[in-house]
Formats: sequence, structure tokens, C-alpha cells
Amino acid sequence: MANVHDMGTLPAEPEKATLEGKNKILGFWLFLGGEMVLFGTLFASFIALRNSVPEGPTGDQIFKLGMVAVATFILLTSSLTSVMAMMAMHRQQVKKMLTWLWVTVVLGLAFLGLEIYEFVEYVHEGHTFTSSAFGTSFYTLVGFHGAHVAFGVCWIALLCIQGMKKGLTVVTAPKFYVASLYWHFIDVVWVFIFSVVYLLGKAG
Amino acid sequence: MAHSHAVKRYSGLMDWLTTVDHKKIGILYFLAGGIFFLIGGLEALLIRIQLMFPDNQIFIGGTYNQILTMHGTTMIFLAAMPLLFGFMNAIVPLQIGARDVAFPFLNSLGFWLFVFGGLLLNLSWFLGGAPDAGWTAYAPLSSDTSLRGVDFYAMGLQIAGLGTLIGGINFLVTIINMRAPGMTFMRMPMFTWTSFVTSVLILFAFPAVTVGLVELTFDRLFDGNFFNVSKGGNEVLWEHIFWIFGHPEVYILILPAFGIISEVVSTFSRKRLFGYSSMVFATLLIGFLSFMVWVHHMFTTGLGPVANGIFAVATMAIAVPTGIKIFNWLFTMWGGQIIFNSSNLWAIAFIPTFVMGGMTGVMLAVPPADFQYHDSYFVVAHFHYVIVGGLIFGIFSGFYYWWPKMFGRMLHEGLGQLNFWTFMIGFHLTFFPQHFLGLMGMPRRVFTYETGVQLEMGNMASSIGAFLMGIGTIAFVLNIIITALKPKNAPADPWDGRSLEWSIPSPAPEYNFKQTPLVRGLDAFWKEKRAGNKEMTPAEPIGSIHMPSPTILPFFMSVGLFIAGFGFMYAKYDFENGLLATLFGNHIIAIIGLVITFLCMFLRSVYDDHGWHIEPEELEDKGVKA
Amino acid sequence: MSEQQHTSSPSGRHRLEGPKNHYITYIASILLTMLAFAAVMYLGLDKMFLVIFLVGMAIVQAVLQLAVWMHMKERDHVYPIIGIAFGAFVAIGGFMAAIFWMWW
Repeated sequence: MANVHDMGTLPAEPEKATLEGKNKILGFWLFLGGEMVLFGTLFASFIALRNSVPEGPTGDQIFKLGMVAVATFILLTSSLTSVMAMMAMHRQQVKKMLTWLWVTVVLGLAFLGLEIYEFVEYVHEGHTFTSSAFGTSFYTLVGFHGAHVAFGVCWIALLCIQGMKKGLTVVTAPKFYVASLYWHFIDVVWVFIFSVVYLLGKAG
Repeated sequence: MAHSHAVKRYSGLMDWLTTVDHKKIGILYFLAGGIFFLIGGLEALLIRIQLMFPDNQIFIGGTYNQILTMHGTTMIFLAAMPLLFGFMNAIVPLQIGARDVAFPFLNSLGFWLFVFGGLLLNLSWFLGGAPDAGWTAYAPLSSDTSLRGVDFYAMGLQIAGLGTLIGGINFLVTIINMRAPGMTFMRMPMFTWTSFVTSVLILFAFPAVTVGLVELTFDRLFDGNFFNVSKGGNEVLWEHIFWIFGHPEVYILILPAFGIISEVVSTFSRKRLFGYSSMVFATLLIGFLSFMVWVHHMFTTGLGPVANGIFAVATMAIAVPTGIKIFNWLFTMWGGQIIFNSSNLWAIAFIPTFVMGGMTGVMLAVPPADFQYHDSYFVVAHFHYVIVGGLIFGIFSGFYYWWPKMFGRMLHEGLGQLNFWTFMIGFHLTFFPQHFLGLMGMPRRVFTYETGVQLEMGNMASSIGAFLMGIGTIAFVLNIIITALKPKNAPADPWDGRSLEWSIPSPAPEYNFKQTPLVRGLDAFWKEKRAGNKEMTPAEPIGSIHMPSPTILPFFMSVGLFIAGFGFMYAKYDFENGLLATLFGNHIIAIIGLVITFLCMFLRSVYDDHGWHIEPEELEDKGVKA
Repeated sequence: MSEQQHTSSPSGRHRLEGPKNHYITYIASILLTMLAFAAVMYLGLDKMFLVIFLVGMAIVQAVLQLAVWMHMKERDHVYPIIGIAFGAFVAIGGFMAAIFWMWW
């Protein structure tokens, strides 16, 4: 179907122009509220078990803070690029929006690459999923976050391709907006992972 | 945008598999939930047969554990919750004057996830034995992998739980964003309010159990150590996670029942609900407090006197809002013209029954006393009084009340009375003696007892009562069948109702409201009727109505997760067959399942659903006359 | 909130936001992260203080990002705020359980 609205006539906030769009955004916010409980429970499990290391290395022995700090920087930057994309969307600059989103995807991939490299290193040093309760809870928490990043990368990439074909309409705008909310949320979760898992882990 | 698209309309089975109409999904929930209710009821009867006589040898040891676990799990997750979701689907959009729910696609997805999760869980009976660690699945009992039943528990509930979470979000957004003009929050009918708070609880409680089940799955299938003490794990972690979810879960169950009772009592007393705003406040307070009381399930775990004390006080505090509700119902009936039909009988019987369950709840909230009651039949009596006496009574009441609106036929009153009296008497006969059995020392979850310890009479009475409840349920099933054979001739407003659902024909048309109604107060339809109007004042001219397209994707999305569940569960299984061993051992089956699900998500994202329209002429043809 | 308000007109009230606040948030986030990093790596601080400091830094950063990047500070965000706040409340409940009854 042809776009009902063409570029010039989109409302100021195209993502909230229809009831469907409003519903989608509100529903997604509520979902993020639920995700807070999900990650909260994972954090609680990790905190409860983080010093339970009958065998295998402990956190302060293996964590590579430098690399993790770089990963933090990358994810933080990707969060900024996705907000830039939303600003471009509100100005109806589709090209610019898609460019920023592609940058976000690339940064997300870089983050994932670093995380996989990091995990491989840890496994070589004997810190595995089955080595201790600390290992299990560490890989579950950080892995859940990594899975969220991986899903987000695929999702945003798919939306970018759709954006190139369908352009910016009142149907596609809520999708971009919601994906960007998701991406910010992932970054917020990572802030806590960096502080609670890595920095506190280094502190002992 | 008033042009309609050519949309495939399915009929027969395909219609039901692809429907996104909330009223049909509601009926599907009733069907599936009803079947699981019968299965769970059968399991309850098997338990009572085993406990009828001392030293009975019919279902002993492991078999008894499986029946008992599956009874609890089925009744809570696969019977009670879906039946409530059925009511929420069938009624909430009608009560707020909406044409549809916020996310029709997700609504259907939530239903199919529940169905396939429940199916997976129940297939365990044929695949080496059902879960046997109790519905609470405490580690290390549940992390013992010598029997495979708990794998089905973890996978099945995970899939069904996702469906519930999706449903919860759907109803929250529907109620927040899609109310008719004039329907402010403080004009919403009580059932909508309780559905709203229940959805809030679902949203914030279910992610916790998702994590708990993931951890259990990781421990069982991938050698994780969350609950493995030898590698530093901690079993108490499961108890915390399970009850952080589990306590809100019991309020998720009971709140919609409160809502149904409020509607029924008020309609059949022909009075407005007494203390509506205090009712709303009490509901919100119960919802909020439900997250702060989970430790009362763990008093004997040994968290210390401070923790036990704080949670005991918090638990007792919940008696206050609940008491407000009880008094409000009583004052609603006070001075009203009470009609004692089967719907209202259930509602009236609910009140004293629930008070009894609440009383024992406060008794259990006292930690020193709880050390005596813990894990005894006293606890069993308590939670059956609140769940059966609260929730199931509420559900039956709701069925008799809303059946004409949902199916266009009135349930038979005589059979309804039979259903009520047998079930109600049977219920009290079953569970009242269990208080005393518990106080006399009979432990729960144990498959037999000795002769000569004075437990015979109570157990015998309890078993007889259970059969009476069975007869009551059969009367209800008969009632459904007989009603289904009669013509669809229910009036639009058989009870002289108060809320919006009674202002439209029975059964509700596909688009619910020809014109969105304008709401001018609490008990909107009643208000219009008192003002001499026969129907609601419309808030818009007649126009074409946008409808979502039917889709099969939710069904296949759920099938994908169902297949993936089996793939993960059988990854380490010793297959005789080489091909199967390869397929499962390399996670190929699991990957295929996940690919199906993700492919469906991909299709959903790429192909926009433009829906279709019902044109004004079509509306006139159908002769919609209110 | 009704379906009547389907198409919100491009109202005069709405003005396009500039990137300034987003840059400030970005820089603040990086500074806070570096501060936390430095506190662990270079300052031999008391562990109890470190726990509170790190978690505090993280919360400040999270609130900042939620408010600015996710636009929670703007109007019409009542339900998102309630949703996130209640989620945080339940999450913190679980946290407390883990910390007080299992870890200590």
C-alpha cells in the first residue's frame, strides 16, 4: 500500500500520531518495566552467588577491566547515536536517521565482538559456566544482556532495511522509536553490569 | 483511509486458529482452561481416592507426587489463570467501551503460548513421568535430574508464562489508552479495575519466575550451579525468587474474582456498589502490598526473627484492605432487592467462605504459630478456601452472569442451582475437616497415614466432599451442553445491568460498539436507563470501523517454542535411534523450533497489517438495534 | 485518550529538541563511568564506601539516561514513569533479599 502520508505532511511526532503508535510505545514502556524485574532478579542471583567460588578463579583474578571499559564506552556511544537517529526522525530526515541507526548497529556488533572475545578469554582461564555458582550466575546475567544486544542488533538492522524500502510513515515511526527505547534500556542495564559485576568484582 | 482491503475471512477451525477477535480468544481461553480444569479436577479426585482410607496402596510414592504436583500446577497456571484471562478478554473491552484490545495480535499470541506451554507440561504423563517436586518445585528436590518430569515443568511454565506476560501488557495498554470518551479511571467498572491491577501484578511478577525457571533449566539441562551447593550454589535463592513471584501470583488469581463478585453483588442487589472509591483504593493497596509479603511463605526457612517479624506485620496489613472489600459487599447488599439466582448465590457464598480463608491466612501470618501449621493440612485447607472458595466461586458466578453476553444463550437456572448447592456443600465438606486434620498433625504432600491416629473420619469426609464437587462440576458441564443446544435468544440486558457491556446485543457483535458510547458517570448504562434513555448516547457518528486481519502467525510462533522446548529437554537423552540422537544431541531440533519462531516474528515485522473495514451500510444490514 | 484524538495535529506547542542535552548526558555518563573506574583502580577506598559509591554513580547515570535519552522528563510520560518506578521497586526488593539474607 502506498504511504498515506508523504514526507512533508507527517505530524511533528510521527511515532505518536496514531492510536496504534501510542499503544505500541506505552506497551513497550511497560514491557521495559517488566524487564527491570527480569534483570533485577538476575542481579539478585548474581549478588547472592558472586563470592561462591569453591573452585575456579574469582572475579578479581580474571576480570579485564580495560577491555570492559572500552566495551562500556562503545555501548554508551551507540546509545547516543540512537538518540541522534530519533532527533533526525523528528526532523523527518530519513537518510540521516538510517545512517545513525546503522552506526548504532555497527557499534552494537563491536560490543558483541568484544564480549565474545572476553568470554573466550575467561573460559581459557578456567572461568566457565559450570566451574562454580559464580561462573553460572556471571554468564547468565552478562549473557542475558548480550542476548538482548544481539537481538537488538538484528532488530534494528531489520528496521533499517524496512526504513529504506518503506520510508518514514506513521506505521514505521513507532517501530524506530520503540527500538531506540530498547537500545537505551540495554545501555542502562549495562551501566549496572559494569558497576556491580565488574568494578565491584575487581574490588573484591 | 476508508477503503476496505480484500481480506481473507476464514471459517470453521481455521477461523479459530487465526482469530484476533478478543471475544473469540476469550472463548478459546474458556475452552482450554476448562479442559485443564477438568484434568486438574480429575487429579484432585485421584488424590482424594488415595487418601480415603488409611494405608491405601493405589497411588503411592512417586506416582502420588506426580499427581499432586500436576494438580497444583495445572489448577494454578493452566486452569485458574486462563479462565480469568477468558473473562478479561470477553468483558474488559466491552466494559470500557472499546472496539478491541490494544494488541489483537499479541492477544492471540498470548493464548497460543499458554496452550502449547500447557500441552508440553501435560505431555510429560506419556513421556516418562510428570513433574514430581510440588508446584513450588523447591531445589534441591527439583534440581535432581534422575527423573525428567521437572524439565517439563520448567519448559512448559516458561512458555505459558511468556503468554501470560504478553496478555498482561495487552490489558494494561487497553485499559489505559482505549477507554471510551468520558470513561475516566474512577468511572471504570470494578471488574475492569481489578483486571487492571491484576495485569500490573502479572507484568512485575512474571519476569521473576521467568528468571527462576531459566535458572532451574540451566541447572538441570546445562549443568549450571545456581542451586548446586557443592559448587557454591544456594537453594534458598529459588525460594526467594519463586515467592517474589508466587505471592503476587495468588493476588493475580483472586483480584479478578473480587471484581466479578463486585459486579454481580451490585447488579443483583439493584444498588450501586457501596464505597466504590474505597474499593478501588483497597484493590490498589492489595496489589502494592502483595510484593512485600513473600517471606511469609518462608518463615521456617530460618531468615531470623527480624525478617519474620517485618513480613508478618506486612502480611497482616493486607487483611485491612480485604476487610474493606468484605464490608463493602455486605453494605451493597444491605437494603437491596436481592435476587437469589445462581450467579448471585455463588457471589453470596463467596463472602463468608473467603472470610474463613482470610482468617486462617492471618493465623498463618503469625510466625510462631506458623511453625506449628507449616506443611500441614491446615495450610492446604487455607489456600483451598481462598482459591476455590474465592476464585472458583467467583468464576462460576461470572459464568452465570456473563454467559448470555458471551454466547447469546442463558444458562439453565435449575441446573445452575444444582451446580451451586452440590459444589458448595461438597467444597466445605472437603476442606473444612482439613483444618482439623492439619492441627492433628497430618502433613501435606504425604501419600498416606496410619490407622488409629484419628485421621480416618476427616479424610473420609473430605473424599466424599470431593466427589460432591465432582458432581457439581458435571452439572455445570451438562448445563453448558444443554444450553448450547438451545437457540441464541438471550436478551441484550437480561439482568437490568449497570455497565456498558449490557448496552450492546448478546452476543456482542464483532465490532462491539456500532458507535463508541459517551460515558456520563459510574455505572454508565444504568445512569442512561435512569435518565429514560434506552441506549447509550453515542460519542461519534456512524462510520466505517477498522478491524485487524486474522493471522496464523501467533499459532506458529508458539509451535516453534513448543518444538524448541522439546529440543532442549531431550538434548542429553540416550536415544536408541541414531538419527534422533543426532538431531536432538546437536540441538538441531531446538534450533529449528527457534528459527520457526523468529521467522514468524520477522514476517510480522516486515508485512504490515492494514486490517479491513466494516462499512456503515454493512452495520445497518445487520440490523443492530439496541 | 479516546479514539477521536486519533491524529494529533502538529501542535504549535511542540518544538524540535536540540542535541545539547543529549551531548551533556553523554559526557556526564562518561565522566561518571570514569570516576567509578578510577575509584576502583586507583584509590584504595574502603569497600563499604565503594559499594555505595559505585551503585550511587550507576543510579545517577541510569536516571540521567532515562530522563534525557528516553525522554522521560517530557510531558505525557506518567505511565512510563510509574512502570519503570514500580519495576525498580520490585527489582530492589529482590536485591535486598539477596543482599541481606543470602550474602551477608
